Amino acid sequence: MFSLLQIAIRNVLRNKRRTAITLAALLVGVSVMVSIRGTLNGLQRSLVQNVVNGQTGALQVHRTGFLKNVLSSPLSMDMPQDAAFEKKMLAIKHVTAVSPRILFAGMINVADQTIFLGVQAVDPIREFKVVPLRASTIDDKQQFASGKVMDAMVVTEQLQKALNGSNVPKDAPAAILAPDKDGALSGENVTLTGPMKLNMPGEKKVGMVRLDVAQRLLKMEGRATEYIVAVDDIDNIPAVAKDLQTALGKDYEVSTWEEIATFVKQAMQRQNVILNLVAIVFMILMLLGVANTMLMSVLDRTREIGTMMAVGVRRSKILGLFLMEAATIGALGGILGGALGSLIVLVLHQRGISVTFPGSNMPFVIQPFVTPTYLFSVVSLAGSGALLFAVYPAWRASRLRPVEALAGG
Amino acid sequence: MALVQLKGIKKSYQLGKTEVVALKGVDLTIEKGEFTVVMGPSGSGKTTLLNIIGCLDRASAGSYKLDGEEIGHRDFNDLAEVRNRKIGFIFQNFNLIPVLDVVENIEFPCVIRGEDRKALRERTLKIAAEVGLTPYLKQKPDELSGGQRQRVAIARALVTEPQLVLADEPTANLDSTTADQIIDLMLKLNSEHGVTFLFSTHDPRVMEHARRVVRIHDGVMEDGTEAAAQEASRLHAAMAH
Repeated sequence: MFSLLQIAIRNVLRNKRRTAITLAALLVGVSVMVSIRGTLNGLQRSLVQNVVNGQTGALQVHRTGFLKNVLSSPLSMDMPQDAAFEKKMLAIKHVTAVSPRILFAGMINVADQTIFLGVQAVDPIREFKVVPLRASTIDDKQQFASGKVMDAMVVTEQLQKALNGSNVPKDAPAAILAPDKDGALSGENVTLTGPMKLNMPGEKKVGMVRLDVAQRLLKMEGRATEYIVAVDDIDNIPAVAKDLQTALGKDYEVSTWEEIATFVKQAMQRQNVILNLVAIVFMILMLLGVANTMLMSVLDRTREIGTMMAVGVRRSKILGLFLMEAATIGALGGILGGALGSLIVLVLHQRGISVTFPGSNMPFVIQPFVTPTYLFSVVSLAGSGALLFAVYPAWRASRLRPVEALAGG
Repeated sequence: MALVQLKGIKKSYQLGKTEVVALKGVDLTIEKGEFTVVMGPSGSGKTTLLNIIGCLDRASAGSYKLDGEEIGHRDFNDLAEVRNRKIGFIFQNFNLIPVLDVVENIEFPCVIRGEDRKALRERTLKIAAEVGLTPYLKQKPDELSGGQRQRVAIARALVTEPQLVLADEPTANLDSTTADQIIDLMLKLNSEHGVTFLFSTHDPRVMEHARRVVRIHDGVMEDGTEAAAQEASRLHAAMAH
């Protein structure tokens, strides 16, 4: 015994070459969509990890209003750098470490060369616990990260190049100059231990000094302008941000990495928009292939449709038959394409893809991945899209008059 | 009792800007159990007449009663129901569904109306045996000869237990031996089951066996059993020479 669905499946298998071409179009389209999405997922995750573990940390705590005035380096909007304050933050679930920083603008002087720069003052030991990837950006044989060189300072390769442009000896004495908390110009001797690389595009004239050096320079002993908070899992960031904000109260503002590195978030959103546009074009091209196949099928089978009508098949069932055929092709193509795409993504995930951002000289490896939700949505979109694009051919078939259909159209 | 009653049936088509009149007021009555042939030259309107009687097309004017019920003005789905329940079709080109095997092709009209599968299978096998298809039940249409395919079409027309079977040139694509076998089979089914047959044909062998022949010419009906039988004999004799 048989049903209309069985007839639909047999019809799909009947013209093997035509079905194979349509399936191939769906297979390529869906697998390319899955592969591109997977690669972009991997890229964006790496990007986030790079930002979170190499630059901003998962969360940052400032005095309320600090970020609005960050360009003026408001040293007055500071906070305590002490065990009691840190204990409050470490008490929040999923927080693994905290580290204080002072951000300020200043000048670096080597011989007769003086250059403006942005400075991050950090506790070398604790900084690399909250942003571990950052340690690998410094090429000074661990002198800065070890915390043993008391006046150590690192600057970007670009800045070092600018400083060495005047052919000063490598070990020439250096000093940083900056207005302190009270506005008086102050200076501290430093030792440039080596260059650091930029792992993300951004300001190139920056450097890092030890927190205690900056506290002396800026007359900010026991104070910091921000705390970096590490979280055990990227997915827990929003919840921790909320709990932390509640624990610290309205005098402090807790910001996630997305709020700090807004350009990263914007870049990711732009990538998603472009990918979605590409996906829509791919999908429409694939589905036009399905519509064309169904239209050809209707034209080839006009007399058969007439026969079915003659023996009493209603228009709705003719419509249903052709829609079932399209859905079968769509579902089959979608599932096979999804499977092939997943396989490609899996292979790429295991091999990894090495990428270097423009403006950065730190290559990093991305591992593509796709979520089951995305796979499901692409496969069901292929199936339902095939159904949608087959409506016109199926409707045409169902609207034929039996006499015309029996005469071959 | 009259199975088919046509009164003043007219049919016209619009061919571009020209109106083509295919039937110009046909009156025809066919009694239950008749074995009737409609004959006429190409373009005379016989296929149009059969299409209207078979509910495949609707008349532009006139009355059509099938088994006492006026069906001339029913909608598309109602007519599909009438075709499925009351009319069987045998086509010149057999018109089988290529993806279905012999049994499935025979059962198709009953499956779409949701008939009980077990009873249907029993009836199908019986009809298949009657038309000599038992050895070919699992074959697909493209694995059968023309005669075998027409037997499948006959079995499919009969499985619904219709009141009327319409056959449009059923022997036109068959060799003479097979055509004779098919005609004998239909005559047997007509006499044993009392199924009413209405043919459109040029085949003198069919006309020879017809109990009634109606002529159609330029969309006008002439019911002339005797004259048509003579015409059949003439054609048959001409073919023999």
